[in-house]
Amino acid sequence: MATNTKKRYGFVIDVSRCIDCRACLVSCKVENSVPEDHTRIWVRDLGVEGEFPNLKQTFVPYNCMHCEEPPCVDVCTSGATYKDPENGLIQIDQEACIGCGLCLPACPYNVRYLNPETGKADKCNGCIQRVEQGLQPACVQTCVGDARTFGDLNDLNSDVSIALKNAKSVQRLATDDVDTGPNIYYINGDVMQASLLPREPSYASAETFWRKVAVPAVVAGVGLSFLGQAVFFAKQLVDGEKDFEE
Amino acid sequence: MSHEYIPLSLRKKLFNKEIKKHNLANILTHWFNVLSWLLLLPTGLGILASPRLGLVPEVWLDATRQMFGGTANLIKFHYSVGLLWMFVLTFNIFIGFRKYFVSFAGERMLLDKDDIEWLKVKPLQMMGLLKGKTLPPQDAYNAGQKAYSYVVILGTFFIGLTGVIMTFSKYIPWKWLVQWSLPVHFSAVGAVFAGVIIHIYMGAAFPEERSAFFSMFTGKVNALYARLHHYKWYQRKLQEEDDWEERVLAEGRELRTKEHAAEAAGD
Repeated sequence: MATNTKKRYGFVIDVSRCIDCRACLVSCKVENSVPEDHTRIWVRDLGVEGEFPNLKQTFVPYNCMHCEEPPCVDVCTSGATYKDPENGLIQIDQEACIGCGLCLPACPYNVRYLNPETGKADKCNGCIQRVEQGLQPACVQTCVGDARTFGDLNDLNSDVSIALKNAKSVQRLATDDVDTGPNIYYINGDVMQASLLPREPSYASAETFWRKVAVPAVVAGVGLSFLGQAVFFAKQLVDGEKDFEE
Repeated sequence: MSHEYIPLSLRKKLFNKEIKKHNLANILTHWFNVLSWLLLLPTGLGILASPRLGLVPEVWLDATRQMFGGTANLIKFHYSVGLLWMFVLTFNIFIGFRKYFVSFAGERMLLDKDDIEWLKVKPLQMMGLLKGKTLPPQDAYNAGQKAYSYVVILGTFFIGLTGVIMTFSKYIPWKWLVQWSLPVHFSAVGAVFAGVIIHIYMGAAFPEERSAFFSMFTGKVNALYARLHHYKWYQRKLQEEDDWEERVLAEGRELRTKEHAAEAAGD
């Protein structure tokens, strides 16, 4: 997928190394002050597969995919959600978020939630506050099985590029119908399960009404009104004014 | 405009006579509204960056953000001015200038039979039809102004209500309410603004309403304008003047009678 950002930060996740310890969930919560009952990060369990004694179970670490074509950015009312032009991470300017929540159903991966303490949308920010200090994101730093790697996918010598190069298999959670260019690459395991694949972005009925009814109606109304007064104004300029007619 | 014949000498005389139409409360509230709209409309549009909506040009989004130093400040400014606008309006209408606004709504806004007729004839005349037909006499506000006043009042109510909901969205437990506030806020602004364009043109540029424009500064219109455009109101004003004179004269006569009586008693 084509990218317009200088760097392209993303995750490469080796599913064969994840043991579902969920240390990443804890470190993420602590690092980012995620409120109780909410999380920015998950480990999905694909369940036990195969016939005894040939059994396997795959755990899939999961968070914001920092998409190349993010529907959440497109739908954000105020522009608070944006794709960082430097590094490609999808960020939320917390102070600019108006808390309307239109972005929540728009995300095909359901990674967003409304923070009840701030009233704003929240999700994985790639621990940019750590990355800027030269550190790894909390989930990567704490991963006991080294399942998670993070870095610049545009840089051929980065950890992520090297992990991709050495991978036995590479998958991204995208389908023919929904491909928003996710920047999490899953290696060394099969994650293409219906329960993990993205759904079509969905939009609140208020947003649909706004876009399809309110905007055209207001544009037409204001346009007609402006045109009407322009005609009368032109007529007035041509006709001139007469005293004592008021 | 009335088709009544008024000789030029009378026109000139009426033109120089002033009649009070607006009190200070209305004038101050009007210009406070103007200031609020000038600050709120450009900043409100500046906030609407959603590419899906694709409404506001990039150049305006950038300009407003740079002017205020980022999206967050732009939104804070819009919220603050909006809250101040709503506070002052609510205070003026229901507390401070209550006696003006309540009587205003009672006396000047209701549509009567003449108004309905006016609404039927005027739009056709504006399109060049029914030129010969005389418009029914109008009160202090003509039927068009009255009709628009409902749009403004309803619109302002919904702008304020949805604005407050969005400003305090954190405390609203129903997300759908915050989400529906967006298009309702937008549509209400659109409805009022479509009328504001006409309102500004009529008030500031349209020659027949010139007197109305200056009345928003002085509170007064000239009698010729009043007679031609607001005949019923004009007649009432004349009646008020007559009544006043009548009352003063009556008081004078009474005083004189008392004086005479006193003199007679003194003799």
